[in-house]
Amino acid sequence: MPFTVERNGGLSRIRLQGAIDIDCAAELKENLSEGLRAGGRLCVSLEDVTGLDVTAVQLMWAAARESNGAGVEFAVEGQAEPVLSALLYAGFESFPVR
Amino acid sequence: MQHSPSGNTEQFKQSFREEAREILIDLETALLELNERRDDQELVGRVFRALHTIKGSGAMFGFEKLASFTHDLETAFDEVRTGRLEISTGLIDLTLAALDQIRDLLEEDSAGAPAADPVACAKILEQVRLLAGIAPPGKTNKEDGPAACSVATADAYGSGPMRDWYIHFAPGPDLLRCGANPLLLLRELGQLGGLAAKASMAEIPPLAELDPERCYISWDLILSTAADRDAIRDVFIFVEDNCELSIQPAPVSLAEADASTAACEADRTAKALEDKRQGTPGRRTYDTPDTASSLRVPAAKLDQFVDLVGELVTVQARLSELAARHDDPDVAEVSEEIERLTSALRENSMNIRMMPIRGTFEKFRRLVHDLARDLNKNVELTIEGAETELDKTVIDQLSDPLMHLIRNSMDHGIEPPEIRAANGKRPMANVHLSARHSGASVLVGVSDDGRGIDADAVRKRGIEKGLLAADAEPSEAETFALIFQPGFSTAKTVTDVSGRGVGMDVVRQRVDSLRGSIDVASKPGQGTSVTLRLPLTLAIIDGLLVSIGDAFFVLPLANTQECIELTQSDVETANGKHLANVRGQLIPYIRLREYFNIRTPRPKIEQIMIVETETGRYGFVVDLVLGDCQTVIKNLGRFYRHVQVVSGATILGNGAVALILDPERLAQDAVRTIAHGQRGRPPASIAAAVKQAQHEGAAHQRVM
Repeated sequence: MPFTVERNGGLSRIRLQGAIDIDCAAELKENLSEGLRAGGRLCVSLEDVTGLDVTAVQLMWAAARESNGAGVEFAVEGQAEPVLSALLYAGFESFPVR
Repeated sequence: MQHSPSGNTEQFKQSFREEAREILIDLETALLELNERRDDQELVGRVFRALHTIKGSGAMFGFEKLASFTHDLETAFDEVRTGRLEISTGLIDLTLAALDQIRDLLEEDSAGAPAADPVACAKILEQVRLLAGIAPPGKTNKEDGPAACSVATADAYGSGPMRDWYIHFAPGPDLLRCGANPLLLLRELGQLGGLAAKASMAEIPPLAELDPERCYISWDLILSTAADRDAIRDVFIFVEDNCELSIQPAPVSLAEADASTAACEADRTAKALEDKRQGTPGRRTYDTPDTASSLRVPAAKLDQFVDLVGELVTVQARLSELAARHDDPDVAEVSEEIERLTSALRENSMNIRMMPIRGTFEKFRRLVHDLARDLNKNVELTIEGAETELDKTVIDQLSDPLMHLIRNSMDHGIEPPEIRAANGKRPMANVHLSARHSGASVLVGVSDDGRGIDADAVRKRGIEKGLLAADAEPSEAETFALIFQPGFSTAKTVTDVSGRGVGMDVVRQRVDSLRGSIDVASKPGQGTSVTLRLPLTLAIIDGLLVSIGDAFFVLPLANTQECIELTQSDVETANGKHLANVRGQLIPYIRLREYFNIRTPRPKIEQIMIVETETGRYGFVVDLVLGDCQTVIKNLGRFYRHVQVVSGATILGNGAVALILDPERLAQDAVRTIAHGQRGRPPASIAAAVKQAQHEGAAHQRVM
């Protein structure tokens, strides 16, 4: 199971696991959209992530951009070093979000 | 919450397999050419790039074993590129053996495919490492990640001066759906040298409008490398039809390039904002015209398409027939329009099926190379007419007969080098593959400059096997035809290659099933030439519909030159000779009424169809020429499979059955029967086929 979603009061936490790629992009989009609609705080945990592809990066980037207008506090936490380095190598200087 | 995978992975892998198979064919050709021209740096580069692409893209599409196995081969050819290693027979043979394993590794997950042999793989790699002086795994840090790879491979690419390249890479809308991963592409690019990347997020649309399986991110990259533009482009080889890619020498310095990159970024941001204002968020040029220049379609779908077009042609012919019977101008107009469209559709669909024979020819380079090595002979393969196109179905069935002909030629035809030298021949023997169009046929030839066929030995063997009477004096063609009999062989020993008398029988059977014919020419001491005459297509042809009494026949339009009248006075002035005077040239003619034994009264004026054959021009006399027709070829029943002069049957618009004549064979057979004093007496099977066609046609017409 590549991710689980926890909702606790005003906090939505999407916990991603393993390799996050195109196969789960539609589901991630749905969960990010729900998190934004729910309001409060939306947190994406990358603690157990072994790899992120561009589909996940652009979804989180879009969610982060929209969180401002939606009054949602968006955060990405627990970024594993290898994942972060791979993204930096690929030119995502401002990852996780601007 | 459960995640459901999209299930596209196997589809992506299949696409990669198809692309990789083509690369492997090119790689094999390049290796065999390199064996002949060992100083050719372009060939070395071709081999290296192919191995690099197989490795890099294999890893990207999840073929880790394949990528890992190819790695040391790539390194070995890098050593060759940089002059640290010389091309040797050992390296070529090892790489060819490795190719066979790569083919198996590629298919490993496919049902029923042979698995690669891990022992053979390990042995090949061990020998490659030994030959190229490559340290075994674990002794280097080459696999430690992008940075380490960059150093190792950048060094290996160092055949040219270091320079900076500015690369803009924007994935197309379907790139991710094709299984490609841009991040892995960047990593592979990084293996060519130092890479500075900047991702642009400017075109990412609002979340609600974002297609999660599409990449909206693009990259501006500066690559410092000794690799040339082709090597950089090769990294993107599997996605180049699905991305925007520009590779330019970087402006003066990296700093300026950064500025340029920033400017590009600003431009794109401005454009994205403009698009947004115009209500086209995140839209790229891909949304308008498709940039792909070609499309890969499964062969089965194409076959189904052509079958349907074939059915449409038959129905259209029926519609034309009905329209002609109902004197209604509106119906006639629609019918003509449908006829025009059907004709265009048929031509297009047939063109789609036409493929150059190059791929089939080229793959025999390997066979010739391996057999020459095994038989201790020096043999070169030359190819002529590789661009000749013929129907895919015909091409698919050509490999086996050609393989048997080449094996036979190399085992029995080509002499050992010392015998060639003793006979004053050059030590390097030649096997020549050729193809060319001839009317509605393609002539595919396999010839050699070997010892030729011993016609006496063949005749004696024919008598021993009871295929010839002891006092028979067969013509040369009849003698050579014996070698295609099942179990026929004059070889004194059976080798791994040939001698069991099976291969030539396979050739004949396959060529028969393709409605083709075989000609053999041979001169003692000079060589043998086998020519396969094959139809261009097995599906639909343009023909001329003719009738004799109640029987209908179709003559392929490609063979037919003209039609002239044959009157009673013409017959009388010819003094019983079947010769027509066509503008001063005497052309022999064959009365098909007599040949097919059709017992209906002869009209006063008949028509002579003048056809061109390999052996000259002939006339076929018929009652009426009804006009041109598109003909869907249907196989004759198995009872008439051996009726050589008829290549198939077709159903006409009125439901009648017409036999499609093979002018080449008809002319040959008619000449033969005349030579044997049997004018007008065709083999019983031919007359029976004509009778059945007449019978079925009449039954069909009654039903309609």
